Amino acid sequence: MSDPLLRTDSVTKRFGKLTAVSDVSLSIPEGGISSIIGPNGAGKTTLFNLFTGKHAPTEGSIEFRGEEIGGLSPHEIVSRGIVRSYQITNFFSELSALENVRLATQADRTGFGPDDFLRHHASLSDAADEAEAVLERVGLLDVADQTAANLAYGQRRHLEIGIALATDPDLLLMDEPTAGMGPEQTNATVSLIEDIAEDATVVLIEHDMDIVMNVSERIAVMNKGELIARGTPAEISENEAVQRAYLGGE
Amino acid sequence: MSLLDAFDPRETGSSTDGILSNRGRFGILALIAALAVLGPVASAVRPFWLYLLIQILVFALLALSLDFVFGYAGLLSFGHAAMFGTGGYAAALLITHVTANALVVLPAAVLTGVVVAAFIGWFSVRARGIYFAMLTLAFAQIFYVIAFADLPSTLLGVETVTGGDNGIVGLATLETFGLLDLSNRMNYYFLTLGLVALSLLAIVRLANSPFGRVLQGVRENEDRMAFIGYDVRRYKVIGFAISGGFAGLAGGLYVPFQSLAQPQLLNWTLSGELVVMLLLGGLGTLWGPMLGAGVVVLLEEQLSGFAAWEVILGSVFVVVVIFAPRGIAGALVSLWEDPEDAIGNVRDALANYREKVMK
Repeated sequence: MSDPLLRTDSVTKRFGKLTAVSDVSLSIPEGGISSIIGPNGAGKTTLFNLFTGKHAPTEGSIEFRGEEIGGLSPHEIVSRGIVRSYQITNFFSELSALENVRLATQADRTGFGPDDFLRHHASLSDAADEAEAVLERVGLLDVADQTAANLAYGQRRHLEIGIALATDPDLLLMDEPTAGMGPEQTNATVSLIEDIAEDATVVLIEHDMDIVMNVSERIAVMNKGELIARGTPAEISENEAVQRAYLGGE
Repeated sequence: MSLLDAFDPRETGSSTDGILSNRGRFGILALIAALAVLGPVASAVRPFWLYLLIQILVFALLALSLDFVFGYAGLLSFGHAAMFGTGGYAAALLITHVTANALVVLPAAVLTGVVVAAFIGWFSVRARGIYFAMLTLAFAQIFYVIAFADLPSTLLGVETVTGGDNGIVGLATLETFGLLDLSNRMNYYFLTLGLVALSLLAIVRLANSPFGRVLQGVRENEDRMAFIGYDVRRYKVIGFAISGGFAGLAGGLYVPFQSLAQPQLLNWTLSGELVVMLLLGGLGTLWGPMLGAGVVVLLEEQLSGFAAWEVILGSVFVVVVIFAPRGIAGALVSLWEDPEDAIGNVRDALANYREKVMK
């Protein structure tokens, strides 16, 4: 088997006395969909925060394509190809849907050269074209000019994914992409995730077990900050430790 | 690249096209043309009015520079007097000791503003919101004290540098290789008007550039900008430094015009008055704060005969914030778009205010 895309080695994150993530070692191969499941407070989102540079690990290492990324700042990690989408709506609410996504497609096309201060942003036409392509992919092209704050709930969630997708990631970390959605929206979102997984590696945090079991190739289970199991969906559904964590409560 | 490129008539039909619509841009061109006519007329009627117009233009430039970071990028600077004042002092020191050539003095004032803002910004952008505001305020007060106590003279062991609380007085007029006689107030007016117009063009251009768009994203959601790949801190420092350059230019125009550089130029009261100009005029619109500066300077001029003119300014401020929360600019825009419903707009604003403040 080839080298993993992302590999953690005994990664630990403590906040004061609270250990949010404890000694987690896992590896995510390139391609397909992996899921991280576990009860609330299991440390799943903290793990995402460690992968994306919001927090630096207290101990242990995180390698992406063999390069240590633990403790890098968020923008440095994005430029290496890791990006996340959020469980809550976390976009630019006063800007249009298109501008939300365009800011993300613009990111790797601008810097601090004279042109970046003097030209009109619209002259970065490939950024705009790519933003439109992303909106089409997430099904929002017809509301491109609407202010993000005015979008319907399902549309917002897709815009949220679109912003992450627009950075053209190799590894997309999605935090509960279907939370709060009805069955129909959920199906649309799941198809979108499967579509994205065609050309990027996707890691999901997801509570909906039907989705997890159906789309994931691999599942990692966390409880109280620790990794308690990993395997294929079939292996995980048979696993006793997992059953205990889920059925036995805290 | 021609100047008029700043009025890029690109039409994408999208609300995200730019900070000023084409109509707005031509409105500004018309206003500049009107000011070019108004100057000579005002001067003919009453020479003092020309003095007032120059004053308004300088503060309009200063308000513009602050709005670029405060309104447009969400960097709540309460210390913009620092860049205005140091730009002014730089001009005064150059005129006193080196040269009164405007082609040296004004660029030096700009550069001073950039350097001071980069310094303050570098330390301050780590904090956010009110903490950022307090840091900028504190830094500005340090500069005030340095000028007031004339610390440079102590350090250099000379008699005087900043002139302490008297400031640097009796400055020679700016000169321009004899091209333009700046002791003539009308010429000074046109120089100021030209530079303010150029600055406005430049800032509108910046605001619509890829860089400006990033600043706007930072205002909307700083964290998310980092997580889609932007080095947010660096953008903020550079934005702040650019803004400081324009504030420095305002100081460089103001001090030779007044023939005086004094510590008050660096004081927090000026920074505070600037924020009032912004909120009065309409935050983030760039042209609104320039109008706000005009209103504040005129009110101050008309009312400073009263001992308590600040009370009146304060009352105007309160009325605007309650009835026109988007400032004079916001009120003008809604009046323009829907002249019939001015009363309705006020009623909406009041209802909005009640909901927000008094729930």
